[in-house]
Amino acid sequence: MSLKSKLDAGEFAILAEIEPPKGVDVTGMVKNATNVKGQVDAFVIPEMSNAVMRMSSLGGAMILQSKGMETVMQVCCRDRNRLALQADILAAYACGIKNIMAVSGEDPSFGDHHQARAVYGIQLTELLEAIQMLHAGRDMAGIDLNGAPEFEVGSTVNAGLKGEALEIELEEMNKKIEAGTRFFITPPLFDIESIKSFIKIVDYEKTKIIPTVLLLKSAGMARYMARNVEHIHLPDDLITRIQKSPDKTRECVSIAKEMIGTLKKEGFSGVLISTIGWEHRLPEIIGSKEVSG
Amino acid sequence: MIVADKKPIEEIIDEIKRHTKILILGCNECVTVCESGGKKEVEILASALRMYFTNNQQEMLIDEHTLERQCDHEYLEEIRDRIDQYDAVLSLACGVGVQFMAEKYHATPVYPGVNTCFLGATEQRGLWTERCQACGKCILASTGGICPVSRCAKRILNGPCGGSTNGKCELSKDLDCAWQLIIDRLKALGRLDDYETVYPIKDWSTDRAGGPRKVIREDVQV
Repeated sequence: MSLKSKLDAGEFAILAEIEPPKGVDVTGMVKNATNVKGQVDAFVIPEMSNAVMRMSSLGGAMILQSKGMETVMQVCCRDRNRLALQADILAAYACGIKNIMAVSGEDPSFGDHHQARAVYGIQLTELLEAIQMLHAGRDMAGIDLNGAPEFEVGSTVNAGLKGEALEIELEEMNKKIEAGTRFFITPPLFDIESIKSFIKIVDYEKTKIIPTVLLLKSAGMARYMARNVEHIHLPDDLITRIQKSPDKTRECVSIAKEMIGTLKKEGFSGVLISTIGWEHRLPEIIGSKEVSG
Repeated sequence: MIVADKKPIEEIIDEIKRHTKILILGCNECVTVCESGGKKEVEILASALRMYFTNNQQEMLIDEHTLERQCDHEYLEEIRDRIDQYDAVLSLACGVGVQFMAEKYHATPVYPGVNTCFLGATEQRGLWTERCQACGKCILASTGGICPVSRCAKRILNGPCGGSTNGKCELSKDLDCAWQLIIDRLKALGRLDDYETVYPIKDWSTDRAGGPRKVIREDVQV
C-alpha cells in the first residue's frame, strides 16, 4: 500500500529516516533500508540536514526506489534556485518518487561548509506553491510542461511551540495547507503533553500530522537535547530512566517504541522514526508489537 | 555610495493613502548624490502627492524635511519633537535609513520612497553603475582594481566565461565583460602575470552566509 493510500485510508503510516552517505558507497544505506523493507511505508531521505554536505535527497531516494522501496524526497530552498528546484522535482517524479517534502534547510553556518553561499531565492511557501503549479502542468514561469507530476506533498510544523509563537506557526501551517501540503512532520516528540495546545487547535480533517520519534542513544544525549534544543520537551524522568537502566541502549529503544505506541493511540496519522546513525536499530523498533501490532 | 532609484508614485500613493498626515523625509547623503531622495526630490514628490490627493479630494497633510543622514542616531533625533504630529513617515533614504528610522520611532509607520539598488558610482549625470556588492572580503588588489564579484554577471573569479565576446558580456552587447576589463587593466599596469594566479574558491561567509553582518571596532567604541 502506498503512503498516499495509507494516509487516505486513515491508517497509521510508518516512515523511517535514512540519511544518504557522505560519499558514494551506498551499501550501508541500502542495507539499513532493506532490513525494514515491507515494514516501512516510506523512507524519508533528508536533504543535507544541518547543512552538512552529503549525497542529495534525490540521489538517495532514487537508489531506494530502484530497489522497490517507497521514499519521501526532501527539497529545500537553501541550496537551489527555482530553476534547479523545479528541474530536480521533475526528475524525481519521472524516476518514480511520488512523495515530496519541502523544508527550509538550516543556514550553511550550521554545517561543514561555512563558506557556502545560501540561495533562498524562493521561500518555503513559494516552493509549495511551485509544486502545485507543476501539478497543474505549468512551471513557475507559466510555461506548459510536457507531462505533469502528482506528488503527495508534505512539510514541517513545530508542534511544540506555545502561546503567540504557536499561533504564528499555525498561520504558517494554514498557508502551507492552502499551498497543497497534505501531511506535516513535527520535530522529535518525547512527551505528548508538550504538544497538547497544538493537538487541541489543529484541524485533523484538513491535514495529517506525523510526529518524529527520535531514538535517543544515551542519557547524555537526552540531557543535551533537554538543555539545548529549543521547543523540545524532554522530561527529567525520561533521562533518569535511561541513567538507571542496566542496558541503556535497550531502554532507549523501549522509549522510542512506547512513544510510537502512544502516537497510535492518540490517533496521529503516522510516525517518522529518526535514528541518526543507529539505523541498524530500526528492525528492533519497527518489529515490536507497539509499532506493528 | 548607496544608489537608489525613485519608486513609482502609484506604489507610494498606495502605501500612504490610508493616512492623513505624512512627513516626507529626505537624506542629504547618497540618495542626494544619486538624485532620488535629497531635498530637491522631497520637494518634487511632495508637490506631486499634494496634487494627487487634492484632485482626488482626499484630505492629506504633507510636510517636508531633509536630514543630514538617516543612518545615524544624532540626526534622526532631530525629528523626535515633531514625529508625533504625523501618522506616518515616507522616507526617501536608502533601506538603511528606513529601518533605522523604524527602529527608533516604534509607533510611527515608516514607508520607503525609493528602491535601494546597489553600491555604485556616478558615471555621468543620470547614470549610476554598480561597483561593489559588499561581499566582506575585497579582492581588488589582485584584479587590477576591477571587481568581478559586482561586475561579472556570474561573479566568476578566474577569467572570463565562454560567453565573453569581443570584450562584451553574453547578457548584452552594451555590457563590458568584467574580465576583459581586468585583463586590459593588468596589461596597462604591466602585471599580466597576476592573471595566471588561480584565485581560491571564494569564502562567502563574509558575504551573507551566517545572516546579517556587523563590524565591531573596539578601538573606536566609547
